[in-house]
Amino acid sequence: MVDRPDSVAAPQPAAEPSSRRRFLGTLSQIFLGLWGLGAIGVIGAYLRPRARGEQVAERIVRAGQLEDLRIGEARLVRHGTTPFFIVRQDASRVLALSAVCTHLRCILDYDRERRGLVCPCHAGRFDLAGNVLSGPPPRALASYGVTVRAGEIFVHL
Amino acid sequence: MSAPTPDPGRAPRRDWVAWLERRLNLSEIFSFVTHFGFVHTPVDTSRPVREVMHGVASEPVPSYARGPRVLGLIAAILFGLEALTGVLLACWYRPTPEAAFPSTLTIARDLPFGWFLHQMHAWGAYLLIAVVTLRLLRLFWDGLYRAPREVLWWSAVAMAWIVVQSDFTGRLLPWDSHSYWSVVRGLEVVEAQPIVGPLLAFFVGGKVVNEDVLIRFYVLHLLVLPALFLGFFYLTFATLRRVGLSPVAETARGTAATTYRDHLFSMVILAVLAFGVLVSLAVLAPLPFQSQADPYSTPAGMRPPWYMLAPYALIERGFGPRWLMGAGLGIASLLVLLVPLWVRGPEDAAARRQTRLWGGAAFGVWIALSVLGMFLDRPR
Repeated sequence: MVDRPDSVAAPQPAAEPSSRRRFLGTLSQIFLGLWGLGAIGVIGAYLRPRARGEQVAERIVRAGQLEDLRIGEARLVRHGTTPFFIVRQDASRVLALSAVCTHLRCILDYDRERRGLVCPCHAGRFDLAGNVLSGPPPRALASYGVTVRAGEIFVHL
Repeated sequence: MSAPTPDPGRAPRRDWVAWLERRLNLSEIFSFVTHFGFVHTPVDTSRPVREVMHGVASEPVPSYARGPRVLGLIAAILFGLEALTGVLLACWYRPTPEAAFPSTLTIARDLPFGWFLHQMHAWGAYLLIAVVTLRLLRLFWDGLYRAPREVLWWSAVAMAWIVVQSDFTGRLLPWDSHSYWSVVRGLEVVEAQPIVGPLLAFFVGGKVVNEDVLIRFYVLHLLVLPALFLGFFYLTFATLRRVGLSPVAETARGTAATTYRDHLFSMVILAVLAFGVLVSLAVLAPLPFQSQADPYSTPAGMRPPWYMLAPYALIERGFGPRWLMGAGLGIASLLVLLVPLWVRGPEDAAARRQTRLWGGAAFGVWIALSVLGMFLDRPR
């Protein structure tokens, strides 16, 4: 390989770069910028969290047999991102209440002795109709429609 | 040297570099980059970063240094792309036998651009192995393993080994029938080696490919091997700064053909070209993707991965028992490492021709065995 000792690339005068050089420089910056935007778009689309649960979930959920639930009792149904309690009010009426606390999205506990729902995070209390009794929760629990057909409970989310 | 003194020739500019410079030692951060070799001159960290970079950019680069460096640079670029796409794939992947294939399918079929990242990662692995191997051949051809460049050779061999192991461990992760069974057959080759085999089986979590092996492969592929690769990358540049790129460097010092700024620019062009090649391969020639692995049903004609075909052929069709062939294999790989201690003495044209001939013969045997391995155990 032949080295050319005298052909050290003369540094361009930094004061006034030629317009061609400036044009090519801008062009490559635009090119690399577009490339970066494309990469951000691809990675963003790929990493976007999937809305799992809400869209995939069934809208009508089987919640067990009516006779398995005693009057005045509540039971948690572990359903996707919308868990709920079913509360049997009397012989035929059943209420479905969201089990997600309206305060900061903790999951409520059923308090068997005091017949209510308690939030383990900030001690918010609800009665078995979903109304706030005490604590920080700002509003009552959402309730869902319930039908009982042939002794089986169906909840409409 | 105290606070950064503004360049007397220029008017002090109020910009973000100056703002940062007053708060951090930017030259020191820049000097960290030089440890990874793209800049091979020492840096005075007490000077302002603009001056330092200006000095580096106008550093002369002899013309001999431009061509061969390309391989190492492409390897570095490909490693960066593998790391990026690998991190993205790991965001959705689940390393258990039940979930591995469905999660890979989610990536490759359902997620936007998931197939693209998956193919980029797979093709990048092929290219990385090719480039690292070519670099090894080039170092051998130019005799760059001779004293005092033994460490350069050893780290190049180690990097080639790490890249191949990364492919081998990564190959299992999708848990499709092809990947699963080629790993099973590859482990057969590994276990034929007397001492190394049991040792490696210990590290990969057993001899049966199950969930324990999968999680070990996952950890090796994501953490251990990339960390080792970076370590040897660093070692390569640490030794290059001590011994120089090649013997030509000593004679050609001061005969510059270009400046570092132009050299850097051609590196950027090269990076864009490498990326283009990879994207073209990923889009135009996507690698096939098969059904979920079934450990109770071996598909016909499964062979070890392509880079293990030569040892496979040697062990299957060698002239002795399996353990003997395995031991021969171990000794052969040891000899590759020992080349610098083995080839010594003055380097004249005759000696160079002789070692090139030996190396070429060994490489020819390797190719022949690989071709033989391709045709072994064909389904009739």
